[in-house]
Amino acid sequence: MSARRPSASERAASRRTVVAFLVSAAGAVGFAVTYAVGGDTRWEGVCLAVAFAGLAVGLAIWGRRLVPVDGYVEEHEGFAPPPTEQAMTAAVLAAPDSPVRRRGLVAALGLALSALGAAALFPLRSLLPFGRADPLQARRDTPWGPGVRLVTADGRPLRLQDVPAGTAVGIFPEGHLDTGDGPAFAVRLDPERFSRPPSAGHVNGLVVYSLLCTHAGCPVRIYLKGTGQVLCPCHQSSFDLLADARPVAGPAARALPGLPIEVGPDGFLRATGDFTVPPGAGFWSSP
Amino acid sequence: MITGRLAQALDDRLRLSPITRRALVKVFPDHWSFMLGEIALYSFIALILTGVYLTFFFDASSADRVYRGAYAPLDGATTSAAYASTVRLSWDVRAGLLIRQTHHWAALVFVAAIVLHLARVFFTGAFRKPRELNWLIGVTMLTLALANGFTGYSLPDDLLSGLGLRIITSVVESIPLVGAWLVSLALGGEFPSDEMIPRIFVAHVLLVPAVLVALVSLHMGILVRQKHSQFPGPGRTEHNVVGSRLWPSYTLRTLALFAWVLAVLFALGGLIQINPVWLYGPFEPAQSTAPAQPDWYVAWGDGALRLFPPLEFRVAGHLVPAPFFPGVVLGGLTFLVLYAWPFVERLRTGDRRQHHLLDRPRDHPVRMGIGVAALTFYAVLTVAAGDDIIARLLRVPIYDLLSVFQVLVLVLPILAGALAFLTARALHRGGAAGVGELTRADLRRAAHRSPHPPEGEGEPETPALDRPGERIELWPEGDLWRWRYRDEARHLVIGGNRALRSEEEAISASRLAYPRVDRVVVPGPPPAPPPGPIRAALRRWGRAAAVGSLLLAALVEKRRDRRERERVDGPTPPEPAEEAPTGDGRT
Amino acid sequence: MRHSRAAARRLTLHPRRMLAVGAVLVLVAGPVALAPEPTPGAAAPAASAPSSNPADRGTELYLQQCASCHGEQGRGTQRGPSLIGVGPASVDFQVSTGRMPLSREEQQARRAEPVFSADDIGALVGHVGSFGGGGPQIPRVAPGNLASGQEIFAANCAPCHGATGAGTALTDGWTAPPLYDATATQVAEAVRVGPGLMPVFPSQVLDDQQVNDLTAYVQRLRGERLDRGGNPLGRLGPLAEGLVAWVAVLGLLVAAARWLGRRAGE
Repeated sequence: MSARRPSASERAASRRTVVAFLVSAAGAVGFAVTYAVGGDTRWEGVCLAVAFAGLAVGLAIWGRRLVPVDGYVEEHEGFAPPPTEQAMTAAVLAAPDSPVRRRGLVAALGLALSALGAAALFPLRSLLPFGRADPLQARRDTPWGPGVRLVTADGRPLRLQDVPAGTAVGIFPEGHLDTGDGPAFAVRLDPERFSRPPSAGHVNGLVVYSLLCTHAGCPVRIYLKGTGQVLCPCHQSSFDLLADARPVAGPAARALPGLPIEVGPDGFLRATGDFTVPPGAGFWSSP
Repeated sequence: MITGRLAQALDDRLRLSPITRRALVKVFPDHWSFMLGEIALYSFIALILTGVYLTFFFDASSADRVYRGAYAPLDGATTSAAYASTVRLSWDVRAGLLIRQTHHWAALVFVAAIVLHLARVFFTGAFRKPRELNWLIGVTMLTLALANGFTGYSLPDDLLSGLGLRIITSVVESIPLVGAWLVSLALGGEFPSDEMIPRIFVAHVLLVPAVLVALVSLHMGILVRQKHSQFPGPGRTEHNVVGSRLWPSYTLRTLALFAWVLAVLFALGGLIQINPVWLYGPFEPAQSTAPAQPDWYVAWGDGALRLFPPLEFRVAGHLVPAPFFPGVVLGGLTFLVLYAWPFVERLRTGDRRQHHLLDRPRDHPVRMGIGVAALTFYAVLTVAAGDDIIARLLRVPIYDLLSVFQVLVLVLPILAGALAFLTARALHRGGAAGVGELTRADLRRAAHRSPHPPEGEGEPETPALDRPGERIELWPEGDLWRWRYRDEARHLVIGGNRALRSEEEAISASRLAYPRVDRVVVPGPPPAPPPGPIRAALRRWGRAAAVGSLLLAALVEKRRDRRERERVDGPTPPEPAEEAPTGDGRT
Repeated sequence: MRHSRAAARRLTLHPRRMLAVGAVLVLVAGPVALAPEPTPGAAAPAASAPSSNPADRGTELYLQQCASCHGEQGRGTQRGPSLIGVGPASVDFQVSTGRMPLSREEQQARRAEPVFSADDIGALVGHVGSFGGGGPQIPRVAPGNLASGQEIFAANCAPCHGATGAGTALTDGWTAPPLYDATATQVAEAVRVGPGLMPVFPSQVLDDQQVNDLTAYVQRLRGERLDRGGNPLGRLGPLAEGLVAWVAVLGLLVAAARWLGRRAGE
């Protein structure tokens, strides 16, 4: 064997590799210790990062400085198969006893398989809920209806004086605090300032609109006091409550649905019907 | 020793060595851009590893659950089990937050790496025949990555992700005829349904990852079968791949990249907070938060929703709502174009040949222009998704900013595309090495209509034909034969990647790789190895010597011990040589 | 925000220059864009005896700093709204957060270092109160329940100020500011007063205990900042995170690939 010693640069590279692997091991130990003494996200992350970075550096030096670096070539057969090969394969596939030749049988098999495939689609129907209204109807209906009382987020029924001027109060149909299409909000405005009367009417300037943006359904929860506008935090559609919640800017194209309300005999506010149109984003059969 | 025996035992039963031998010498091109896909692969592996850990602690259910733990503002609060378990994972499970954050960062990096890889493949024309299939698989994986990213973002059931889910529901609902049905089919009811979280969970941890794993395997299987493409260069033809061999050089380098990806991901996961769901709070249908954005890779859709004007129309009394166009149509078109691109380009150029040599991006100004325009378009949309943040930070009115973006999204891509097209053409025609070296004359020439026939046709297939200095050298080495390619003029020597069993095999391999080069048979090992191999050989010898001396030292040490303990007999001198068992005979 | 605060700090360092600049700015200050929606509660006037004694510190400060826009009797001018009936909470909020006096003409006053000392602010509050009109008193903040505060915050504050308290943009250049600098009293004042476009939350909507809970939660958001997971990136959310991911991919991963991807010899 040749007695040649490794070159200086090579020795340096090996040394650095070893140091990198040692650093990696130290990082791993550090991670274990951090974890054992109670854990801290930052230190855990740093230790693991050091462990893997050490590994990376060591492997990289090894791969670039300590192994042969000259180029190699591999030939490339190309993908045009030799014609004879192709012909032979075709011949085997289409041999006289080949199933491909029995057209009738193949057709029957195809029929059977398609029937099976179609049948396999049926269980997918179970993903749709059974025994409930069809999606379009469900989409149109909300828990609101004549006589449903307006309650706040904690379930308290609402009186007229519970909605002062200058604020927006989140409203839910009584008994349905968690539904997706029920949330609404109430705002008290000066009836003198209405540039277009609310389609669902108002009670002493108190109007109730659906909370769901008609663009993509986000809750339009930003009430810009003084301007009488609400703004959607998702895509910045704004609606003018003084003009029957018409969209005034942003990507929404339809007004917020209003909720017709009245003061019930018990002094609490209640709805006299559902929203003027289905709430939330538009869909194919929305009116 | 043990591994050796194990390998032999396996080989005796499965006869793996012929396959392994071919696999170990597979040649990888030496260019960094071929590692972009590997970054994606390694972040995918990181995703699987961290994701499996998370499933132990995550409770995919919408059922009520009381959170009790270290996060005081929610202690005792009743939320969905999904949310409560995510907060517990973040605050009460040791190392849970690190793994959760690393998982999320890995998802962001995964998609970013896919996009970079896709851009590389696109601009270099690597999708051309015969690699269309892998392009299709790759685009499918991109869609699946987006889908899985979005479902993962939705799983914690926090306020921010709930808004995102509501928006995507609205977008699906906007599809004519079937929208509401599709939503119901996917969620098992109207939007905040109880089945929502469990279904998303199954899709996120089982369905999509399984398909992704299958497609990744297929993608790489096809890659191995088709071999790498490569950039044109000396010694590189349509019939070969020049680069480093898998073992040992490329293995070490790619493992280094793997470790580095993990290092970066864990550093991000430990040092930079991502998706603090405890701050966002649990999802409630009536609540919202601002600023509300999705993760970056779906932000282009959100940006499009923001920028698209409030245009709706009715078809026979039925509504086609505004989100349909930026949401469904744009998304559908995006992926349709991506899928169709290789075939559209082939139709346009009429180029049906196989390509293993890549285009330089400049070689194809039209493709360059379209690609840059598309990237700019999506980049503007992504930035537009943050218009509320930008408006607050810059203190500009948000609707003014919106109008600016509405103009930019149409104008900027055209400008950027045109600029890229002209630059590419100037580089292509002028022959400048880089953008910095372009002269005014180059630009002027680029601005005129082509003096050449349109590009993509009539290009020479192989860049360098038969130069006098080129030759193939073959030589026997024991029973085996080796060959190499030599270009005297460029001082270039490239070795064949493996030993072959006969001279005929060596000849046919070299003829395949360099079809038009004269062959010279060199009897015996060639006399004067060129500088590259010398250095390599020296290093190998050096390493062997190092190993040998270590072995020697160890043996001497051992023997001394033994002698000191036993003092019986003088064992035979140690035999340190069986050095370099994989010596590939480049001496 | 930072800019304005830095500017304010510079001003406080040089009180004399500050006074000169302040005087000029007060003169040029345009219409104060506070939405002129006073909340005339049912409260009785209950005005204390108007003390226009020039020796009174409050009067002196008012005449120096406020009267040019709000008028000597607080009736408002073209440049500023009436202060009658805004209530002590409003005055204390505007002055103690440094929003008033306006340092320069702008639509929405920004938070800054307060110009006056705590005693001076008290004197000013007293003087403005002497104009009459009632209005919300300065709330006394007591310790509250974090869990309840979190719910109230999510329902009422998160849409504008963000669930993380980072603030957001509203229409027409208005913003909902970040909450990280607000003291407990200032938060409670803002809830009761509704400065600018912010809705008011009088006691029919949020009772005193709920306001206490809310301020406790906001203080928690602000104080500890709850950033258990590392640098919060300004709590700006996924897009900031995406930006960081891209920087990491390009700056660390692609850079590493560039180095690893070529042979050492090349």
